[in-house]
Order: sequence, then structure tokens, then C-alpha cells
Amino acid sequence: MTITVWGRATSSNVQAVMWCAAELGVAVDRLDIGHTYGGNDTPAYLAMNPMGKVPVMRDADVVMFESAAIVRYLAARYGDKEFWPAPEQRGPLDTWAEWVKTAFAPAFLYGLFYPLVRRDPALLTPEIQRSGEAEVATLAGMLAARIGPGPWIGGKQFCWADILAGHMLYRYFNLPFTRAELPALDAYYARLCTRPAFREHVMVSYEPLRFKGA
Amino acid sequence: MITVHGRKTSSNVQALLWGLEEMGLSYERIDRGGRFGGLDAPDFRALNPHGRIPTVVIDGRALWETAAILRYFAGQHGAAAFWPTDPMARAQVDMWAEWAKNEVSANFTRPVFWEAVRVPEERRDYAALQAAIDVFEAQLAKADAVLQGQDFLTGAQFTLADVMLGHVLWRYFDIEITRRDMPALRAYAERLATRPAYQKTVMVSYDILRNTL
Repeated sequence: MTITVWGRATSSNVQAVMWCAAELGVAVDRLDIGHTYGGNDTPAYLAMNPMGKVPVMRDADVVMFESAAIVRYLAARYGDKEFWPAPEQRGPLDTWAEWVKTAFAPAFLYGLFYPLVRRDPALLTPEIQRSGEAEVATLAGMLAARIGPGPWIGGKQFCWADILAGHMLYRYFNLPFTRAELPALDAYYARLCTRPAFREHVMVSYEPLRFKGA
Repeated sequence: MITVHGRKTSSNVQALLWGLEEMGLSYERIDRGGRFGGLDAPDFRALNPHGRIPTVVIDGRALWETAAILRYFAGQHGAAAFWPTDPMARAQVDMWAEWAKNEVSANFTRPVFWEAVRVPEERRDYAALQAAIDVFEAQLAKADAVLQGQDFLTGAQFTLADVMLGHVLWRYFDIEITRRDMPALRAYAERLATRPAYQKTVMVSYDILRNTL
């Protein structure tokens, strides 16, 4: 069985889906869509995702958009009891996965990644960078405190919540900005970097996204 | 016992309470946030280090993040149609619920509702407000198209995705702005407004939030 994912490898949301599928041993046929590739405004694409965003995932009769929902689907369908735990254990983990997706990731993306990479560098001021760094430092501290000794966000077992918690960390640790000193987060990232699926799908250069002039 | 921490005028609290009511779950609610304060209290921070509402305590354990809380309760207590157990059927509900949260609710509460209601008129940025309404309505138009052929966001049945979309619609249709004509969406909002749980939890006066920013 092979699923199809539409979306460029440089999209952090595509990366989450690809990493998840690879951890689960699900084969993926990925098609470059979005950004410089385009193709996300064709009638065929909009029929799959009226929003025209990446990623879209198709698994036989199931066609989905929204990366976190896709990760949960893949985990529920193909994960074992450790990767997709019983509801009682899943609830508190889902809380943290959701928080990374709705608080940490956007604060990092819009507070630092966009200003430092995707936008015109002429628009970047020290104030913008300092404000992004301050907000991200607070949230990264909360994530580090939650992970603690880990090794994973749920404790002993790597699970779907690590995908959502960790999918932005390659960029977090490689973008040149002043990071808060958080040994627990450093160690968590070092553990993620030992996973072949993370290396292949998340440790992907974001240089193609860099601002190239208006 | 389910305890919900959060003022009833918070749109995220409303989404949660509406969902709980639809699932027939009873709960107690403690006012917190806004003029009630209490978000920095150490006992609350012990439950939720981020100090946000809603936060739920169930049998001594804390859950937060509205969507995650709703998924938890739906998985335990939701009807099969509301939150399907089959992963393939659930996928359709989950993706629309995610969209409603990321693209609809996020583009409404702060940029539209706060600017139109919470910011005092003399400081209101009408150009920014209109720009935000345009962004928000472009997303609503996707729902309007879908709802032309069906009663609810994912088909004939009311689901978790309707909670995630519908909880902002009463305010959208109530605030003093000029709205795009979207008949299917309006009819949908009127259908939601016939639900007792919606009336109780979402159709709640927000006058107390006026001019508070």
C-alpha cells in the first residue's frame, strides 16, 4: 500500500506528514506542489482541498487536508498502541501536541522564520527579532519543561505527539537567532536527529524559501 | 466530575461547553480570565503552565487546548456520527475541524471580533477591520460552497467540525459589520441556532467585552 502526498518537501506541514508516514513504514508517493512549483490552484487540486494549501494526502478512498489531522489519521490507521496510545494516555499528549501546533509553531514561524528567511531582509529590525526571540524563548522553555528527561514527549515511547512537537525543531536549531539555554530541548533535538525518518524528511534545507526579491 | 476553568464569554470556552452539552456531559464551570483574572494564580498554573482558558480538570487530571479537549471527550463519549470511531470516517471530520480552527476561528476572534467589539470606537482601525473581514469571509466562502449541498460541514450529520466552525458564527452574524451575502452559510447558522446547547453556550451576550482593549 502506498499513499500519495501532494506538497513540496520544504513545507513544514508536509514534513510532519512525511516524517509520520516514514516512522510508520507507510510508503509515500510525494508530488511537488506549492510555492515555486505551483499546481495548488488547479480544479483537480481544489477538488481535493478547496483551500488550495499543502499538504493533501490520499490513502485509497481517503482524501485529506490539514497536516495535524493527517498525522492523527495515519497514527490511528497504521500506528501501534505505543505510537497511538489508548484515549486516557492520548488526551494529555494531544493537549501538548495541539499546543505546539497552535502556539509554539506559529510563534516561531511568524515571529522568527518569516522575518529572517521568507521576508525581505530590509524589513527586519532588531526590535522585530528581539520580540520574536523573547516570545519563542518563553514557549520553548515550556516545551523543554514538559519534555524534561524524556526521552520523548510522552515518556519512554516515541509517538505521534513527537511528530507534532518536533517537526519545527530543525528550523528552530538551525536558524541564526539567540536561543534560550534549554538543555532538555537540546537533548530532545539530538535524539530526534538520530531518527532516520526525521533526518530524511525534516532536516531539509529551507534555502529555497529564502526571499529573492519582490 | 468535569470542571471547566474559563469565563463563558471566551469563544474557546464556548466551543468547549457547546461540545460538552451536545455530548450530554455535565460539568461545573469556574469563572477565570478577562475581568475575573486568576490566570496567573499558582494553583491554576500548576494545571496549565500557559495560564490559558479553557482548561479542564477531570478526575484530577488537567487538559487544555480546546480542540484537544474536545477530541478527548468526543473519543470517550461522542456519538458515532459526532466523532466516528473508524479512522477513515473520522479523518473527514478531523480535517474540517482543523480547518475551522486554523483558518476560520483564528481569522475571526482577534482580527475581527476584537477590533469590532473590544477596541473602543475612537481607536478602531476600520481599514484593518475591513481587511480582516475580507480574509475571514474568504474562508467562510469555502464553507458556504460546501453547505449548498448539505446540512452540516461534513454531510448530513452534526459533528465536531460543526462545533469548531459554528461557535464563531453567532458573533459573526451579530456584530455591527457589513457582511458578504452567503445564503447557505446563513441558513446553516440559523440551523445551529435552533440547537438548545448552542443557545445556552454560544448565544451569550458579549456586551461585557465591549471597549475592553
